[in-house]
Amino acid sequence: MAKQQFAMVIDSSKCIDCKGCVISCKVANKVPEGFSRNWIKASVPAFSMGPRTRTHFQPGACMHCDTPTCVQACPTGATYKDAETGIVEIDNSLCIGCGNCIPACPYGARFRNTAIRKADKCDYCPERRAAGLLPACVDTCPTKARVFGDINNPDSEVSRMLSRNKGKVIKIVNAQTDTKPNMYYIGETAPTDWTTAAVVPASMTVMKEVSPLIKGIVGLSGLGVLAMLGRQFLAGSSDSHEPEHHDEEARHD
Amino acid sequence: MTRLFKRHDKSDIFIHWFNAACWLLLLVTGVGLIGNPDIDPVGSWYPDTLRTLVGGGGNLLTIHVVIGFAWILGFLWYLTVNARGAAFFLREVFMVSPARDMAWMIKKMVLMTLGPKPLKMIGMAPELPEQGFYNMGQKAFAQASVVGGVVIAVTGVIMFLSDKVFTAETAWIVSWSVTLHYIAVGLVFAGLLVHVYMAAISPEERPGFRSMFTGHVPEDYARHHHGLWYREISSEPAAKGE
Ligand code: HEM
Repeated sequence: MAKQQFAMVIDSSKCIDCKGCVISCKVANKVPEGFSRNWIKASVPAFSMGPRTRTHFQPGACMHCDTPTCVQACPTGATYKDAETGIVEIDNSLCIGCGNCIPACPYGARFRNTAIRKADKCDYCPERRAAGLLPACVDTCPTKARVFGDINNPDSEVSRMLSRNKGKVIKIVNAQTDTKPNMYYIGETAPTDWTTAAVVPASMTVMKEVSPLIKGIVGLSGLGVLAMLGRQFLAGSSDSHEPEHHDEEARHD
Repeated sequence: MTRLFKRHDKSDIFIHWFNAACWLLLLVTGVGLIGNPDIDPVGSWYPDTLRTLVGGGGNLLTIHVVIGFAWILGFLWYLTVNARGAAFFLREVFMVSPARDMAWMIKKMVLMTLGPKPLKMIGMAPELPEQGFYNMGQKAFAQASVVGGVVIAVTGVIMFLSDKVFTAETAWIVSWSVTLHYIAVGLVFAGLLVHVYMAAISPEERPGFRSMFTGHVPEDYARHHHGLWYREISSEPAAKGE
């Protein structure tokens, strides 16, 4: 079987905003107070509809994108897209907490965890999956609005949902930064206008821009050394001593 | 017997080679900590291989940090045992007499790569202006390594402290430290290529190379390569023989 792409397929019309997913995630992943790895967004109700006024709830989290801007903003590769699972992971032992990835996510899925002082976000509960369980949010959801699985496996529930709803699958994408997210909303969903353009911090942009310059300077220096080596072997070193002999003569005058 | 002039103290020699060893190890491990195709100096195969070799990027980071602190502690030790030597070094290195030293620098670069002919062709005398304890090339590299070294050490400590004291609001300092660390290492490394050639490979500097082990240079070399220094010290009684 080809490589996997774990993803979430969400029928947001089933969401009743109970926030069970948010709480179970916080418990399962020991997320510090004031932060959350996932969310439920709500559309602004159109009160003009009178008694038929309704609000749409939309569960979400890190979308484990195919072209993750957070990964592009990471200098060390501590955050990376796993080639086997398609999950965007954070290697905590390598992350130093520089914070570059946080504004680089158009979905605001990342935060600097105040307990470990490093980047944090949804990782689809690896400990639970290792134990054969579903991610906490999926397991908890009473209406089964969140469905989790490998979309590269045609027999998975998520794959069947996607093919059953062909043409009715919505991805929430920022107009300026399409990161090719792997979170699929079926039928309809709202709101869809809450993303922000990915911002790579100036420090990272500067580093990327001066990188070729520095390589150029190192290259020039290397060429200089090669030129000196060449001269040393071709012309011999006696030649370069010449001026110093003049020097000596000058002093003896 | 030729007269010998003392050039480096034992502690100078120790700190130079200790520093060089640390630099080598820090460079080898540090380049492996860069894991982003936009800034990888040699390509992603290098960090990938090195990380596998040491059992993960986290281990590599730990190794790098431990060597980095050893390097800083080495320098602190040097400053306590030979503060006067360090002060002398800094004074010699940052005192530049612009006209004389620039002329030396330009002529030396032409002489080392193209030889004396181009200088003669444009009507310049190929003779080099006399130099002091360090020539301008050594000064330029030493200035870069002092300034670069301080930047590298300070930004390194900041990155180390990132997950100990920094917060989401102050993490931008850490992020800029990454950038400055990267730039400073790159620039000092460019100078290092020339330094290693001049010091270890170029035949005319052979006595200077030996002095980094023995501590002294023969009179002849001092007179030809560091004339101003030579005249200052040759009137003083110098160490005879070994
Ligand atoms: C294989 C590597 C190296 C060799 C063979 C080498 C050799 C030498 C020698 C022979 C000198 C004495 C020059 C003199 O006083 O006449 C010297 C000086 C010096 N070295 Fe190195 N060195 C090496 C690596 C490094 C490294 C990695 C650094 C720092 C990043 C460094 C920094 C300096 C500085 C600052 C001086 C004093 C100024 C100067 O002579 O340019 N060296 N080195």
